[in-house]
Amino acid sequence: MSKDAEYDGPILEIDKLSISFFTRLHEIPAVMDFSAKVMPGEALGLVGESGCGKSTVALGVMQDLGVNGRIVGGTIKFKGRDMSEMSAEELRGLHGNDIAMIYQEPMASLNPAMKIGKQLMEVPMIHEHVSKEEAYNRAMEVVTDVKLPDPKRILESYPHQLSGGQQQRIVIAMALMSKPSLLILDEPTTALDVTVEAAVVELVKDLGKKYGTSMLFISHNLGLILETCDRLNVMYSGEAVERGSIEDVFDKMQHPYTQALFRSIPLPSADKNSHPLVAIPGNFPLPHERPHGCNFGPRCDYFVEGTCDQSFVPMETVEGHDLHESRCLRFKGIDWDAPLVATNTTEKAPVGEVVLKIDHLKKYYEVAANALFGSSGSMKVVKANETLSFEARESETLAIVGESGCGKSTFAKVLMGLETATDGKILLGNTEVQDIPIEDRDTQTVSSVQMVFQNPFDTLNPSMTVGRQIIRALEVFGIGANDAERKERMLKLLDMVKLPRAFAERMPRQLSGGQKQRVGIARAFAGNAQIVVADEPVSALDVSVQAAVTDLLMEIQRENKTTLLFISHDLSIVRYLSDRVMVMYLGHVVEMGTTDQVFSPPYHPYTEALLSAVPIADTSVVKEHIVLEGDIPSAMDPPSGCPFQTRCRWKDQVPDGLCDKDLPAVRYLEGGHQIKCHLSDDTLAQMVPVIKLAAE
Amino acid sequence: MEPLSAFGITTQIFIQLLPVWVALIATFWLSITYKRRLGLYGKLFDSVVGMIGFGIVMFWVFTGFFGSLDMILTHDPLSQISGMKNKVPGTPIPDSSVPYPHYLLGGDNLARDVFSRVIAGAWVVIRIAPLATLFSFMVGITLGLPAGYFGGRLDTILSFIANLILAFPVILLFYLLVTPEIVLTGLPQYMAAVLFFFPLVFLFMLVNSRFHTQPSTRNIMVAIIAIVGGWLYLSLVSQSGGGSAITVLPSALDGFDIPGGLLVVFVSVVFVNSPTVFRIVRGLTLDIKSRDYVAAAQTRGEGPWYIMLWEILPNVRGPLIVDFCLRIGYVTILLGTLGFFGLGLPPESPDWGSTINEGRKLLSVYLHPALPPALALLSLVLGLNLLADGLREESLRD
Repeated sequence: MSKDAEYDGPILEIDKLSISFFTRLHEIPAVMDFSAKVMPGEALGLVGESGCGKSTVALGVMQDLGVNGRIVGGTIKFKGRDMSEMSAEELRGLHGNDIAMIYQEPMASLNPAMKIGKQLMEVPMIHEHVSKEEAYNRAMEVVTDVKLPDPKRILESYPHQLSGGQQQRIVIAMALMSKPSLLILDEPTTALDVTVEAAVVELVKDLGKKYGTSMLFISHNLGLILETCDRLNVMYSGEAVERGSIEDVFDKMQHPYTQALFRSIPLPSADKNSHPLVAIPGNFPLPHERPHGCNFGPRCDYFVEGTCDQSFVPMETVEGHDLHESRCLRFKGIDWDAPLVATNTTEKAPVGEVVLKIDHLKKYYEVAANALFGSSGSMKVVKANETLSFEARESETLAIVGESGCGKSTFAKVLMGLETATDGKILLGNTEVQDIPIEDRDTQTVSSVQMVFQNPFDTLNPSMTVGRQIIRALEVFGIGANDAERKERMLKLLDMVKLPRAFAERMPRQLSGGQKQRVGIARAFAGNAQIVVADEPVSALDVSVQAAVTDLLMEIQRENKTTLLFISHDLSIVRYLSDRVMVMYLGHVVEMGTTDQVFSPPYHPYTEALLSAVPIADTSVVKEHIVLEGDIPSAMDPPSGCPFQTRCRWKDQVPDGLCDKDLPAVRYLEGGHQIKCHLSDDTLAQMVPVIKLAAE
Repeated sequence: MEPLSAFGITTQIFIQLLPVWVALIATFWLSITYKRRLGLYGKLFDSVVGMIGFGIVMFWVFTGFFGSLDMILTHDPLSQISGMKNKVPGTPIPDSSVPYPHYLLGGDNLARDVFSRVIAGAWVVIRIAPLATLFSFMVGITLGLPAGYFGGRLDTILSFIANLILAFPVILLFYLLVTPEIVLTGLPQYMAAVLFFFPLVFLFMLVNSRFHTQPSTRNIMVAIIAIVGGWLYLSLVSQSGGGSAITVLPSALDGFDIPGGLLVVFVSVVFVNSPTVFRIVRGLTLDIKSRDYVAAAQTRGEGPWYIMLWEILPNVRGPLIVDFCLRIGYVTILLGTLGFFGLGLPPESPDWGSTINEGRKLLSVYLHPALPPALALLSLVLGLNLLADGLREESLRD
């Protein structure tokens, strides 16, 4: 290999980098005064909310800023050489050879018309001019390295034949083909399910160690950064606000934004009543509307007029720490250990009557095995929901947890009446609604069950004003006698979700993600909904906004005594806000109980793995390390016996291969805790907690 | 009287088109002044290509309009002046009693003024093309939305019919439709009765789905649509006088009659264009219907027509507007083709297609009668394409 192995300085050295994008009207600074250093074998994390410029830094390193972007200041040195002085040809040689990048969307990084093997072999064939056989062997080797089963078959398949997790592994394999010295990962696991994410992160860590690759890991998830990186750089609005080692930044933070960020994420110690999350007030500034002085100033608790809003704030070294820097004028004067005063603790709302009862609900879909001649060919049955039974009470939050394909969205559809049930009952109050499609339901029923959707950018009609959309819901629900009354009620709803009344006239594109989600909540509560299904309402939002939206949802719930069905895959937030939890896997409810019961042993093996997979941004938490093998089986072709048996690590504890043969029955443990598992009581009793606080 | 030089001709034409220049300048001045408040139309003025396209299109729109008001025409497009047969541009007229002393662009085979015929031809296009396109869109949208939204058998059947129409050679279809025997059976009128019914359905659904929650408002609006739309529809469909296949309205109530030939052209153009629009709308609907705001509308119990017309349609307007501009261009070409083959319109009609066809016969000897209408047709279609490009470009930008 032609790479200069003798070089032992920093792999990547970014010094006071500034990048701007130029539009027709003005220059938009995307990154300002950014410095970072990546040593050989070191992993540097870049964390921040969307729009903070973290991806722009990566693109800057790749020298791929497009037509509008330009580096307007500072230098990027790769192995001591200034990249801006390299010719286009040198840069091409560097890309894919010395620097490799992994993007968020695996499918978009692979050529759908080319076999995996051929795509992988291209890398060394182009960069190192090796023979076809050599390239094939190398491809085989990396595919084995990324722990894909049956490498030969994988090399022969097209990207669409692999699952999302497998595709991302292939992208990683491709990046590693040329043994790069620097690997840039831009949100590599955001599009994946939690258990798959855990496995991919594990893989990246192992490979990093094995190949000695330096990594630049970009993520919005502090927990992931904690698990993968040695050092980190917290970014806010185009600037690095704090940088240092993981321990320093996580435990001895020296910047108000970092502190606010940690206070707004649901750590195991948070509780919706006694220790509520503290949302960062205000909104992320747009690049051309940044405030004077400190960018974080207007949202900062420690803001002092006349000091913080005067001039550019430089990075300053924190004395006594290992290369720890903070961009705050006042960090020396702030008492960082001051305990958070819980300002708004609330009483837990008493749980009332049963409002929703699901009894052995089943939803099957018939899918034509042969798409072209559907009616004549054999039909396959997809069991999207298998005997769901549970109750939900007034003012209660029931979390439905599971990964994609577990049937949680199908359940929501059946409950809303968008689909009718195959079998079983849904009782809303005293009415059976399982067979009544939404067009036949009366307005009362429709308005009492409403939904909050996942994607804020998709939840509002882009060509209708915000107010109009809420008024429309009021019209349909028959609320208000005339337009004036409905308008008044709409403004009240905007007050309720804490949006200024002026927003009624705005178009959705003028709103930020969190604001759109608030409008979505206002719309759902327009008809005094009794039951609200929230389908991952905050997972697409930025961390600092998540807390505010979650709190809002809780507050409205308390006031209206609403039953909240909270669908999520994020166990941290589930633990924070739910009263009871239902864990689903491939259409089955595998475990159900109160939050405490589900989050402490005995667990269902799937819950255990799920708990272990969720990254937690707390250095004091020690996790049992469980990585699930393989992917979630397809619902078209579920495994025999227990649905989880293909990935279960406890399978060998059950005698006679019972897991392969029989579907386990629901078992009731103490306190109404249900588990669908063959494991004996003794084995269940042996389980240890997955998450422990180190101090305990 | 001296013949005009090339410069003289240009100057005279420029002066003759004065109302058009004034209107164009006024349009651009107003639009550019208020462009930030005009949405997509205003953004068009950020794009040079779009402005050029818009300028050319508006030039022909104003020309046609003022031409119809008799502000531009120098002579009657149908009258012949003896001694002017095939005369070159700028030839003075021997008879001094006529209002204008020259044939600016010469005379054609029948001694008519080419300039006036081109201007009058613009009015034929400007009247028919956008309206026919609009009707095609109404038909295509009213069928395409449910096909995409409901899918299933409805989609299969409608798509099959659309493909069937598209697979049929257009010119052959036209020949068939304008054959006197077919016209006598009343087929074009029956087709008109069906095709023109769609806009009514479209408007009714639009209003009903939106206002069904407020019955009083709804009833008023539906009544207006039923009376005004219904009267227009019936007037359009039924022809007074004998030999008409459909006579619903007594002639006293029949507001207007469309010349039989024009109706045939109109119906044919709508008939062959709506399947393409249908397919575009169907495809766009398939894309949009999986959005969360559609699901949100479903979960609050909205009817399918509300979702289709108020949640989906406004959000596919971008591609539809662009296609609308392009389609006016196709229709313009189609009208030219029809005129060229002498289909539908009366033989002396000044439309560009007919004029080109007449000029074609003596093309090797006299170029001037065929060239102006050909250039007119070319520039209008080019303008529409540029306008569509500009709109597409600007609608993608933010």
